[in-house]
Amino acid sequence: MPFAVFVLRRLGRGLLTIWFAVTVTFLLLRLLPGDPALAVANPNMTAGMRATLLAQYGLDQPLIVQYAKYLWQLVHGNLGVSFAQSVPVTDALMSRLPWTLLLTGAALVVTVVLGIPLGVLAASRRGGFLDRLVQMGSVVGQSLFVPSVGVLLLYVFGLVLRIFPIGGAFTDGTYGLAWYLSVLTHLVLPCASLVLIQIGSYVLTLRATLIDALGEDYCTLAKANGLSPRRVLWKHALRNALLPTTTLIGLQLGFLVGGAVLTETVYAYPGIGRAIYEAVTQLDFPVLQGAFVLLAAAVVVANMITDIAYGLLDPRVKTA
Amino acid sequence: MRSIPRRIAIGATALAAVIAVTACAPSAPSSQSSSVASSGGSASATPGATGVTINIATTTDVVNYNPLVGNSRTDYWVTNLMYPHLLTISSDGSKQASLATKWGYTNPTTGYFDIRNDMTWSDGVKLTAKDVAYTINAVIKDKPGGTLYGQLTNVKSATATSDTHVEITLVKPDSTVVNEVGFWGNIVPEHVFSKAGNVAKFANDKNWVSVGPYVLTNVVKGQSYTLDAVKSYPMVAGGVPKAAKIVYRVYPDVNTEILALQKGDVDMIANAIPPAQVKNLQNSDGIKLAEIPGLGYAHMTYNMKKPPLDKLAVRQALAYSVDYNAIRSVVLQGQGVSTGSSPIMPVLKTYYDASLKEYPYDPTQTRRFLTDAGYKADGSGNFPLNFRLIYSLQDAVTSQWVNLVKDGAAKAGITITLQGLERNTYLAKTAAGDFDIYAGNFAIMDDPATNMALTYLKDGAINYSYVDDPALSALIEQSRVAPDQQTALKLLQKAAKIVHDNVYDNVMYTQNLYIAYRSTISGLVVKPSELLSVVDPASLAVITKTS
Amino acid sequence: MSTPQAPTSRPVETKATLPTVPMTGSVMHGLEPVATELPGAARATWQAIRREPLGIIGLAVMTLLVVVALAAPLLAEYPSGYGELVLAPPSGSHLFGTDSLGRDVLAEVIWGSQQSMLVAFAASFIAIAIGTALAMIGAYFPRTDGPIGVLVDLTLSLPVLPLMILVAALVGPSTVTIICVVAAFSWPEVARVVRSQALAVVRLPYVDAARLMTTSPFWIITRHIIPAVTPVIVVSVVLTASRAVLSAAGLSFLGLGDPNTWSWGRILYEAQQSGAMSSAWWLTLFPSVAILLLVLSATLLSISYNDARNPRSRRR
Repeated sequence: MPFAVFVLRRLGRGLLTIWFAVTVTFLLLRLLPGDPALAVANPNMTAGMRATLLAQYGLDQPLIVQYAKYLWQLVHGNLGVSFAQSVPVTDALMSRLPWTLLLTGAALVVTVVLGIPLGVLAASRRGGFLDRLVQMGSVVGQSLFVPSVGVLLLYVFGLVLRIFPIGGAFTDGTYGLAWYLSVLTHLVLPCASLVLIQIGSYVLTLRATLIDALGEDYCTLAKANGLSPRRVLWKHALRNALLPTTTLIGLQLGFLVGGAVLTETVYAYPGIGRAIYEAVTQLDFPVLQGAFVLLAAAVVVANMITDIAYGLLDPRVKTA
Repeated sequence: MRSIPRRIAIGATALAAVIAVTACAPSAPSSQSSSVASSGGSASATPGATGVTINIATTTDVVNYNPLVGNSRTDYWVTNLMYPHLLTISSDGSKQASLATKWGYTNPTTGYFDIRNDMTWSDGVKLTAKDVAYTINAVIKDKPGGTLYGQLTNVKSATATSDTHVEITLVKPDSTVVNEVGFWGNIVPEHVFSKAGNVAKFANDKNWVSVGPYVLTNVVKGQSYTLDAVKSYPMVAGGVPKAAKIVYRVYPDVNTEILALQKGDVDMIANAIPPAQVKNLQNSDGIKLAEIPGLGYAHMTYNMKKPPLDKLAVRQALAYSVDYNAIRSVVLQGQGVSTGSSPIMPVLKTYYDASLKEYPYDPTQTRRFLTDAGYKADGSGNFPLNFRLIYSLQDAVTSQWVNLVKDGAAKAGITITLQGLERNTYLAKTAAGDFDIYAGNFAIMDDPATNMALTYLKDGAINYSYVDDPALSALIEQSRVAPDQQTALKLLQKAAKIVHDNVYDNVMYTQNLYIAYRSTISGLVVKPSELLSVVDPASLAVITKTS
Repeated sequence: MSTPQAPTSRPVETKATLPTVPMTGSVMHGLEPVATELPGAARATWQAIRREPLGIIGLAVMTLLVVVALAAPLLAEYPSGYGELVLAPPSGSHLFGTDSLGRDVLAEVIWGSQQSMLVAFAASFIAIAIGTALAMIGAYFPRTDGPIGVLVDLTLSLPVLPLMILVAALVGPSTVTIICVVAAFSWPEVARVVRSQALAVVRLPYVDAARLMTTSPFWIITRHIIPAVTPVIVVSVVLTASRAVLSAAGLSFLGLGDPNTWSWGRILYEAQQSGAMSSAWWLTLFPSVAILLLVLSATLLSISYNDARNPRSRRR
């Protein structure tokens, strides 16, 4: 199949995904108990004032009208205006999204960079002490509960050892190199706990696929041809074993972007996950809708990149 | 041959992915550093007298910078430093001069404020009575969702008759309106807000103009709000704020907040410390606590629209089954004050009626009430009574004491089903009257006449017991048009007695709050309630820090 | 396999699904003994598990947790009311210390195991049922495969935790809500994993043979295909269950848990609310360790099962 058709198809599916996310969120929000005017929780708000406020938000119109208006806005790239903050949703979210991307992106890179050697190590020492150690470590990491780990790391490295700052994404009032350094030091702990939690699945997947690949005919053949076991492992087996790992990266992105809520909360990191959680408590419909559009789009783009990478890595996809 | 282009392609894809991520990520940094640079410049232009930066932790972001709309705690704290109130409040709930120097009524339907003449907005424009009149009229016209609009129900309009005198024209006589508008309303600059058109939709999210001690200069959403000292603030001795900068830092998790305080990343925590942590922090090195008198109360209401809660005996039975002392000593760690089961709390010294006594915790009496009312307990001592109690899960203290309420009732043979709800569901169910028992609290119940009108009149916005007692309503209505405080006081005390004796409301305690700060901080001024506490302009303008 | 198929049949953490390896090779080879359910193969698997020390540890821990959950009423009094000793560190009278209302944390952890394990098993059961059913339909009726694949992809693309928060807020906090919410967002992964395995099985000669014997797809699916993919399902159960425990704890932690039932998430949530997480370490440590043990034992079991099931990867 021509590459262009493949890309177009993925694009179409991506748009469908975004529409799906938009519609699901739109309906879910309207089904939620309470309304944005009640969420203001003003003890002297009368029924009349509540109605006035709802009209200001445009929520007095029929559902279908609201939906059509929203889609129309969306097509024009307009995400609407936040109820609670009175600013355009784009402004409200765009100040937060970069930090989430930085955090989850950094965590992903570190995970892959550390995960591949660990997986290879475990697979090459299969059944040995190191293999068991890596497996145990991976499983323990996966089973950790984010806030507990967060408070522990902050206590040890923030309060007791004073190596890393507590909370925030950078130091106010720094610029230039000092600013970049402060971004880095603020990133370490939240990034470390995300890596700790997600690295397990990468290592275990890689280990399992490597072990299988090593038993394949082509690896046996390579060994028979006199190639060193190291070369067989790194050159031949790893190439194939990387495919499921690549897929896993794509699969976990949705989890990664959304799943950062707890991490961002504990580390007071100014990411989008927290913005979403706050918008839920304020019933700020436009911000929530906008956030879900953005997240869905991010996942779609990421999935497309992994799919293309997959196509490039997998000989069968390429030649078929 | 095949592997080389493939490698290039893989490399290119990886590169594209990296660019896609980094293209988004550093965009914030560049814009951030430029705004940091600009604020650095303005800071050196207006240094506070001591040149220190005070870092204050809070759990929530500023939601809305427009004080006429915003109503979260951090909104109040930050905007109060820029937009003044006409009146402030003392520890006994009485109103004191702030921007206004004199206030009152010229006749039953006309109120007035005389304001200071020495205040100037940070852009050099003088603050006059026109700003006050504009604020009130704009709120009446555009109906923003903030607290002030609710206080203006009986106000027709405001007029500035001179640079320092504002007249308020009322729709009907109301002796509470001047005090309440004066206390709740933030005055905004007409020359800035009028340009925005509709004040209900104005975000006020940049180029702030302040008449308070500090002006917001830099915002990092989700992280920090930096306010710089202004050149002149006549409302404090010395005429200038002492600190150079106030920085509000956001820590959504109270545990992280406490760690940041212990480390010294912040100098103070603005939100009240959870009761169980007070002792721990008191024993912590370098940390002090300030006690903030509460001005609100926590209560339970029994929905009188749901039989058998319309029967006095049943409400009394419930009221006698609660171990109030245990709630105050265990859940609140002794930081709660009994109100004598009266809606007029002891903190409102002028109004408080010491003759009203708290409902005793007496399960035997509860059983007697029920047996006398004709209820029969089954073999295991349980009455055929089952009530559903709603509360908000986001309210940590209430979430704890409702369990004690349930256990107490169970001892007396009454079943209470706890229904902990997510905040918005709780608000929706409350508004719809979908509960048997409601548990909740109010932060500031400063004016008994206003609050009893909201709580016990037939259509009161927070009449959660659905009480409609003509005798009670008459007393409240009369108190609102009473010519002097002494008359109003007598009427309100009578009303409170009716509420108490009929168990129309079960007011349980006023919580005194604790604010934690580092011992390097000095000069704190304590104001009542969590809203004012030690972060009121009167306190932050004079606060200092030693290194 | 044609081109567009490859990207959609993505594997998850399990090694049972390997589109990388040619379909006719190892996967079928690995499946054959289980597909026919030879008693010998099952015994061989069991013996292999027994030789895996990690598997034995996992099994022991899991058994212990189940016993604790079932025997909770015998082990500790239901934690309620209040105690005089607030936030007391672990001691002889309170082995795990007390919480901010003076209740015994050990009792809370013991009683909490009931709800946490109920959520784990119920959520994974529902997710497995839905996921397997859809995967079977997709695999057996090629026409439905496209739409089901799209649905799975769409659901996987949604940001999970924010959506869970929304749904939990919508339905109200209760154990049933948590089970449903976790299940609702776990089934697509199951469907995806099971489907790719089932696709391979459907093409096997013995399924063709079965088609000659009966016209009932239900019979073929339940008698021939499901047994063949059981290993994958077992692994999925374990993974979904452990994810459910963590998700449920996360929801409780955000204040969307069931406030009337003790769960490990609720202990952590109350510790967080009372600001005690750093000063009262016992409040966070013990429920966290309980969560860790449950997830750990489940995962260890699945790894060993997986290793043991595959004759080629068994240690010789």
